[in-house]
Amino acid sequence: MIVGLYVPGDTALHKLSAAVKLMAMFGVGAVLVLVDTVVPLAILVIGIGFIFTVVAGLGRNRLWAATRPLLIWLAIIAITQVWVADKEAAFEVILRLIALVWTAALVTYTTRLTDMSDVIARLCGTLRPLGVSPDRVAFLVALTIRLIPAVFDTVREVRDAQRSRGLERAYLAAFVPVLTRVLRQADVLSEALIARGFDRWDTQ
Amino acid sequence: MIELEQVSVRFHDRTILDNISVSLTEHRIGVVGDNGSGKSTFARLLNGLLLPDLGTVEVNNLDTRDDGKDVRSQVGFLFQNPDNQIVMPTVAEDLALGLKPHKLTGAEQSHRVSVTLDRFSLTHLADRSAHLLSGGEKQLVALAGVMVTQPQILVCDEPTTLLDRRNAAHVMRLIGELPCQVIVITHHVEHLNDFDRVLVIADGRISDDGPPGETIPRYLETLA
Ligand SMILES: Nc1ncnc2c1ncn2[C@@H]1O[C@H](COP(=O)(O)OP(=O)(O)OP(=O)(O)O)[C@@H](O)[C@H]1O
Ligand SMILES: [Mg+2]
Repeated sequence: MIVGLYVPGDTALHKLSAAVKLMAMFGVGAVLVLVDTVVPLAILVIGIGFIFTVVAGLGRNRLWAATRPLLIWLAIIAITQVWVADKEAAFEVILRLIALVWTAALVTYTTRLTDMSDVIARLCGTLRPLGVSPDRVAFLVALTIRLIPAVFDTVREVRDAQRSRGLERAYLAAFVPVLTRVLRQADVLSEALIARGFDRWDTQ
Repeated sequence: MIELEQVSVRFHDRTILDNISVSLTEHRIGVVGDNGSGKSTFARLLNGLLLPDLGTVEVNNLDTRDDGKDVRSQVGFLFQNPDNQIVMPTVAEDLALGLKPHKLTGAEQSHRVSVTLDRFSLTHLADRSAHLLSGGEKQLVALAGVMVTQPQILVCDEPTTLLDRRNAAHVMRLIGELPCQVIVITHHVEHLNDFDRVLVIADGRISDDGPPGETIPRYLETLA
């Protein structure tokens, strides 16, 4: 999952401003669309891999962790591409995807969520006349990313509790307790946010 | 200083708090009582998270009904489960979140965050992922996240229930040393011995009130 989140460090990439990194990410995306031969794409992928593991010091394990969820999709794409087009096309698509995912992972690993959401806030600033509060949008992005592991934790806890009672494969039976707990957590969380001044962000 | 005047709270025709009048002025106040007696309901009244059905709650002469937001900027609240209170991914980011309404510059904000981290000996955790910390560390982060905003009053609802004895004692010592007024709900009565005043809540009423040396032994007797 790309929500692997920020890895503290003080490499050049960590120090680069979040806005520049996001722009570079879109830049890489554009380049990927324009380049359509295997060799330059392969060089690009190797370059990004080098920046990821060595320049940003994130290591091969994290690179592998970012790639692993992709493998099944890569396999599917490879098979369909070979079938409808040819091997060369399959290679191109795969290299593009890998380059994109590695770049995205590189940016998320080296950028603090707050810096990222500041950029998002500034982008949303242009929407302020429409009544959009940039701070809140940025916060919601951060909150969503924060809640994903919490929901997985809840699912695991409920499943563990059920398995301990002998309900090994009761996936459907987990649905209701997970949902009630998530809703109750949302309730408590919104109260905690109000206690921490969330409702005062715009007024003071 | 918090003033409750003839406060009642009902949920679906059940009276949870029944005509409570009390004035909270002491530096450190403990609140004890059985499960379901109404302690959390009482606590949530104090910063306007909950409004009374009858009566008024005033914090420094601000009515929680009319000035909830201002009240909450003066009354910090520490919950039992830090997981519900810690929002941002890393410790430092979470502390910074509470400062949002204060509209500080970036430098002022990071200064306040680092001073607060230092005060609670959390500096080494600043960039750690908050939801991967131990229970004791998380509760300290939650406490720091409240105190970074420099509230005048801190209300804690069972801040040590999920902690082991050592961490519970540590958190309570830090809470007891705070210069602001603190109101602590707890089942761990042994932590209230140094407090200035202890309220006992039973069936939605304040059944006992006085210095801990008197109220706690009487409360423990009712449990025996
Ligand atoms: N939102 C609600 N809706 C209905 N009833 C509620 C609600 N909140 C609390 N109650 C009821 O009010 C009563 C007092 O609850 P409260 O949480 O204040 O007790 P407590 O003293 O904090 O208990 P504990 O020691 O278990 O935390 C309980 O009987 C509870 O069922
Ligand atoms: Mg309670």
